Amino acid sequence: MRDAIALVLAGGGGERLSVLATERAVSAVPFGGKYRIIDFALSNCCHSGVRRVGVITQHAPASLHDHVGSGRAWDLDGRESGIVILQPFMTRDQAGWYRGTADALAQNWDVIEESRAARVLVLSGDHVYKMDYRALMAAHQRVSAAVTLAVLAVAPDQVHRFGMVTTDADGRVLGFEEKPQRTDAHLASMGVCVFESEVLREALRGRPVDLALDVLRVLVRSGARVQACEFDGYFEDVGQISTYYRANLDLLRPDPRLLLHDARWPILTRDEERPPVLLLPGADVAGSLVANGCRIAGRVRNSVLFPGVTVRAGAEVTDSVVMQDVIVEPGAKVRAAIVDKLVRVGEGATVGAGDPSPDPSLAWLDGLTLIGKDAEIPARATVGRQVVVGVGARPSDFGGEALAPGARIADHVATQELA
Amino acid sequence: MIANRYAFILAGGVGSRLCLLSERRAKPAVPFGGKYRIIDFTLSNCVNSGIYDVGVLTQYRPTSLRQHIGIGRPWDLDRTRGGIQLLQPSLDSNESDWYLGTADAIYRNLVHLRRRTLDHLLVLSGDHVYKMDYNILYAFHEANRASVTVAVTEVPADAVGAYGILETESSGRVVGFQEKPRASRSRLASMGVYLFDRRSLIRWLTEDATLADSNHDFGKDLLPRLVARGEAVYAYHFRDYWQDVGALDTYYQSNMDLLSDRPPLDLSDPSWLVHTQSADRPPVRFEAGGAAERSLIANGCRVAGRVVRSVLFPGVVVAPGAVVRDSIVMNDTIVMRDAAVDHAILDKEVVVGEGARVGWGDAMTPNQACPDHLAHGLLLVGKEARLPAGVTVGRNARIGAFVTEQEITADVPAGGVVRGPEPEH
Repeated sequence: MRDAIALVLAGGGGERLSVLATERAVSAVPFGGKYRIIDFALSNCCHSGVRRVGVITQHAPASLHDHVGSGRAWDLDGRESGIVILQPFMTRDQAGWYRGTADALAQNWDVIEESRAARVLVLSGDHVYKMDYRALMAAHQRVSAAVTLAVLAVAPDQVHRFGMVTTDADGRVLGFEEKPQRTDAHLASMGVCVFESEVLREALRGRPVDLALDVLRVLVRSGARVQACEFDGYFEDVGQISTYYRANLDLLRPDPRLLLHDARWPILTRDEERPPVLLLPGADVAGSLVANGCRIAGRVRNSVLFPGVTVRAGAEVTDSVVMQDVIVEPGAKVRAAIVDKLVRVGEGATVGAGDPSPDPSLAWLDGLTLIGKDAEIPARATVGRQVVVGVGARPSDFGGEALAPGARIADHVATQELA
Repeated sequence: MIANRYAFILAGGVGSRLCLLSERRAKPAVPFGGKYRIIDFTLSNCVNSGIYDVGVLTQYRPTSLRQHIGIGRPWDLDRTRGGIQLLQPSLDSNESDWYLGTADAIYRNLVHLRRRTLDHLLVLSGDHVYKMDYNILYAFHEANRASVTVAVTEVPADAVGAYGILETESSGRVVGFQEKPRASRSRLASMGVYLFDRRSLIRWLTEDATLADSNHDFGKDLLPRLVARGEAVYAYHFRDYWQDVGALDTYYQSNMDLLSDRPPLDLSDPSWLVHTQSADRPPVRFEAGGAAERSLIANGCRVAGRVVRSVLFPGVVVAPGAVVRDSIVMNDTIVMRDAAVDHAILDKEVVVGEGARVGWGDAMTPNQACPDHLAHGLLLVGKEARLPAGVTVGRNARIGAFVTEQEITADVPAGGVVRGPEPEH
């Protein structure tokens, strides 16, 4: 893999992740009790021997930059290896922002050129999977393909989420449809592909915007050798609330499909120094992942707890994803919720109270309650299912009434605080 | 980084009172507190105090210490200026090979001070668990214009025999120093933390090296001599938690102290983190039938059984139906289905077979091999030992490292010993 450079597309804003991605890129959203989503792609690079990586950022990149740092966690800070953050920039001729995935690659063509890499591996920072890119590269070289796409079989009700491909018996791609409502194709492009550098350079000449629509589809139509390489492991695009939540809770199954305890393919992350989990008298934890630095005196079931979460006596956390340094005060209950970092759930408060509403406009929430980073939920407050509490919400934002499904408390973003 | 500061950490001790735990590793490398090694406390104190230039003096079985410290990354000691150096004894043309005592160890490494611009030299021990800001020690030292400042802590009257005991005036000036006295009026024990005036130290060590009747040890020789001579020796009274974990009972107790309602040593204080080398491990996995109370459990553990009042290091597996109680269980040890572990210290990668009962019965016969260290109910299982399914191991027993199932043909009675292979040289 010395002749390849990987570019990780991590600029996406993730409207569909709502408050989880207000202040961070989707790739930087915490996942699995201690990771960030991008850790999967970067760990795959590390274990596959990809030594040069560029991370393309755009939406709220600060937390992603912070996380990636010098690339140490993935051994990408070496003499012959490296990671570079590629943010939009201005030149005399153009004003900056990436208009789409292909445009982002085009604007950073000089980085690819300078690497003298013969092949460019294009990845997404928003996917959860463990994949040996060497297998993809081997399939690519075996048929001397121009482009090789990693694909996986998906159920018919999922085809609208993916670029769908049809292939011949040798795996050559014959057709490419972007997010069709209905199709006979059952192989989805995973957004993981390897290009011959020359092919990519030519394709970017016309300044295309989107990699799938304006590059891959065009190449397939032009008759270029586009190859598909089928992947049969666990893969999830966690860019929406339901898939994000389910991928987290899938880790709690007795035999999870994505194995985090795997010494041969560990997921690497920028680890914080935290003491072991402290279980106090009265702690009752089962069917859960709990990271270092947590202090538990209450009850935890079927939940994922990130580092430094405090669950005080008499508090209960059930069916939830709870991020770093959240405090659940005595007697508080958190059910079917995603709670972002540094939230405080006040004494006796309930998050995820009652039943979800069948209202189709709330379907995107998958019945869950979302609490944005730094929010403070007042003592004894009742926050129903399918409520979205914005980033930095203060107790005064809540009023005295229970919040019913569909209620929304606005974000307090940092710039407003300064104004 | 604070300029002109340098610390030597003495990390060569044999640690015989830790029995099996330090049979194959230096005492400072013994695991502690669910993810740390003992030396992490001293190293973290250094960097948290702004001292980023450290020499670690090793002698006894340094391999695991060397692996742990590496290039010093976790402590930000992988630096362009300063950093961390492991200093092994070397064979000089006109010296004996091994360090004779703590003072000799420093004397033999004075060469490392040559190119450093220092007024003081900090000498620390790698065997102690405490959190201390050494800046306060420097300030105290300078305010008193001391030649040497010894950090002291108050110990119970019945424990003075284990320490160097200092007698002081109200100003803090030391007027008496007794190494391990049978009884003493003072209860101020040396913590093995010394701040020296550099020039004085070099003079004293050079002189001490010529004395035939000296053990070349700070506690036994140098400090009592300096006090007797009326040198400006001061004691700095440290009032926070400090524990010499060099013996099995204090080692066990200070691990258990971390589980109390108000632990005397706060490991989660963000302003004074204890740094360590930690492998990337996933969060603790509690299976559906798992339960844990009053315990510390590190990342990478999988708990399907029951854990009570115990410290579990990374990667420990407690299978369904198994119970671990009042125990310390080190990295990657597996407690198989329906096994019970009680009042035990299990070293790394031990396997406790299905249904085995480790720490069983009322008999309290002291250990046949080390009755001084294993007499109060605690039992020890050495690294990578494998206990067969269904076996019963009595209290105060000792199972050596690398013992296999085949070598345990019968139940091990209270105080029993199963010897493993001798450590290789």
